[in-house]
Formats: sequence, structure tokens, C-alpha cells
Amino acid sequence: MRIPTAALFAKRQARTPQNEAEVPFQEILPLRLKNTVSGKADSGSDVACLQEMSVLFACLKENDFVEKMCHKEITQFKRCYKVYMDRKATAKETINKGIVTPGKELNYKQLNKYMRRFPNPE
Amino acid sequence: MNNFVRTFLPRLVAVRQMSAYPKHYVEPIFTREAQLAAKEQDEYNKLLHVPTKATKNDESLSVFYNPIVQKVINYMTYGGNKKLARELFDKSMECVKRTQIERINLGKLEDATADPYALLLQAIENSRPLLQLTAIKRGGVTYQVPVPITEKRSYFLAMKWLLEAAREKERKVHFPEKFAWEILDAAYGQGRVIKKKNDLHRQAESNRAYAHYRWS
Repeated sequence: MRIPTAALFAKRQARTPQNEAEVPFQEILPLRLKNTVSGKADSGSDVACLQEMSVLFACLKENDFVEKMCHKEITQFKRCYKVYMDRKATAKETINKGIVTPGKELNYKQLNKYMRRFPNPE
Repeated sequence: MNNFVRTFLPRLVAVRQMSAYPKHYVEPIFTREAQLAAKEQDEYNKLLHVPTKATKNDESLSVFYNPIVQKVINYMTYGGNKKLARELFDKSMECVKRTQIERINLGKLEDATADPYALLLQAIENSRPLLQLTAIKRGGVTYQVPVPITEKRSYFLAMKWLLEAAREKERKVHFPEKFAWEILDAAYGQGRVIKKKNDLHRQAESNRAYAHYRWS
């Protein structure tokens, strides 16, 4: 018969808590926030125009991949991607200019510039 | 100052020697339409006194100038031999025109154009893909993910496919001839290049479930 493990160890005493003096706290990383943020999160996902793409695929499949029949869907898809790319380009341009405007939507470069002005006390 | 730097500190300071124009030089506006469009706006007066780069030697405002045609010739060029590419291109244009005129005279086609340049542009326009597939690795498996395509790249792919199809031929057939056939086929929405494009679209459609995988 299989004995449950909990029953086997039930008689043993509970572990004694550690002595706090014997285990001093080590500050491995400094216990305060850095004055910088990394730019990794800002790269974001590149997924754009998924809706338009699925509409286009549906149309193409229905019409046996004849593009003439899906003129509207094709133009919409192309326009969507163009708008997306344009917006990306302008966003990049503003980042590279490095102008800091106070507000909620700051990218990492602007944030770093801002935080350099008000650093954490050492 | 620069001379001093070059003679006394040859390796320590990087000097941009190969750039022909300083950065403040602007690109020339060489086409008639672009010039007129610039004149409409205030931009034109600004450009009057700004140093401008020279026009490239294959760009002109001639009626025979077409940027896409120039691109085709550039993509055809092999090993820097543009002269040969231009000759082959002209020959294939002649071939397109001859076959087209022959077909028109035989009464096979109704109200068709015999302008080879128009046919070439039509062929390129017909073979442009709407999307492309990029390989993205997720969890050890490579997925072919459909991704939208920029206008420039779609033109590039269309021309590349046309030229690839033309180069894949028997040894006895000459390039201009084969290229002309491919152009004519593609201009009428048939042939291998159009099939290649449709195959790509089909594959993209069957891989549509992976479309949200892209991130790069």
C-alpha cells in the first residue's frame, strides 16, 4: 500500500526559523531606481494592418486570387500600410530631434533626458 | 586646416574623402512636372540660391525618360556592363514591338497598343506582389509569415521576377527574345511571372494564421 508522504514526515519537528543576526542582508543591487530607462520596450511590435490583411485574404480566396475583383480591399490594405510607415517615420524623426515636451507620452530618449535633470539622490 | 590634418596626422583623423558633395547640397529637381509643382509653392524661390547637386547622367527631362525603365536596365546590368544591358534592353523592346504588331495584323488582338514601353510598364504593374513572406523563428520552428510590402520593394520584386524568368531559358534562345515573351505574357496577365505572384499570394493566404507573429 502506498503511504502518503505527508504521513511519513508528520512526526518530524518543524524547521527552526533562521537567526537573523547570522544572515545579514546584502545589497546586491542598489535599492533605488536607476536614473535611466532602457529603450527596449519602445521598439514595440511591428504588427500592423492585420484587419485589412485578413479582409484582403478573404476577398482573394473568394475570387480565386484575381486581383481585379478585390480592388477596394487592395487599395485599403496599401493605404493602411503607407499610413503606418509614415507615422513610424515621423515618430522616429521626432525622437531623433530629442525635443522634450512635458506630457504622458514620452519615449525613452525624452525620459532619459528628463530624468537626467532630476536624478535620484546618491 | 584640413591639409595640415592630412599631412601630419594621416591615420589619426578620419577624413571623408570619397563624398563628392557636402551635406548641405540639395537634390536636383530635373523633371518638368516636379519643377512646375515646385513653382506652384514657395519652395522654388528658396531653392534658387541653394547649392544643388548635378543631375545623374541617366536622368533627364526627355520624353523618353522613365525612372522605371532606367531601373529595369540597372537591374539587368551584370558586372557593371551597362552598355550591354542597354543594348539587350533595346533589342527586347524591338522584339516586343515586332511580335505585338504581328499579332495585331493577324487580328488576334483588338485595340491593343504596340508601344513596348507601355507594355513593359503594364507587365511590371501586373506582376507586382501585394505582400511577401518573411521567415520568423518561433520556438525552434521557422514560420513563413505574410507581411505587407512597400511600394518600392514590390516594384523591385516584379522586375526581378521578370528578369529571372527571362534568364531561365534554353541555350539557343537569346535573352532579348525571351525577355520580350515574358513581358508580353505578363502584360496580358499570363505566364510564369504572374503565376509566381499568384503562388506567393496563395502561400501567404494559407499562412495567414501566422500573420500576428511578426515583430521585427
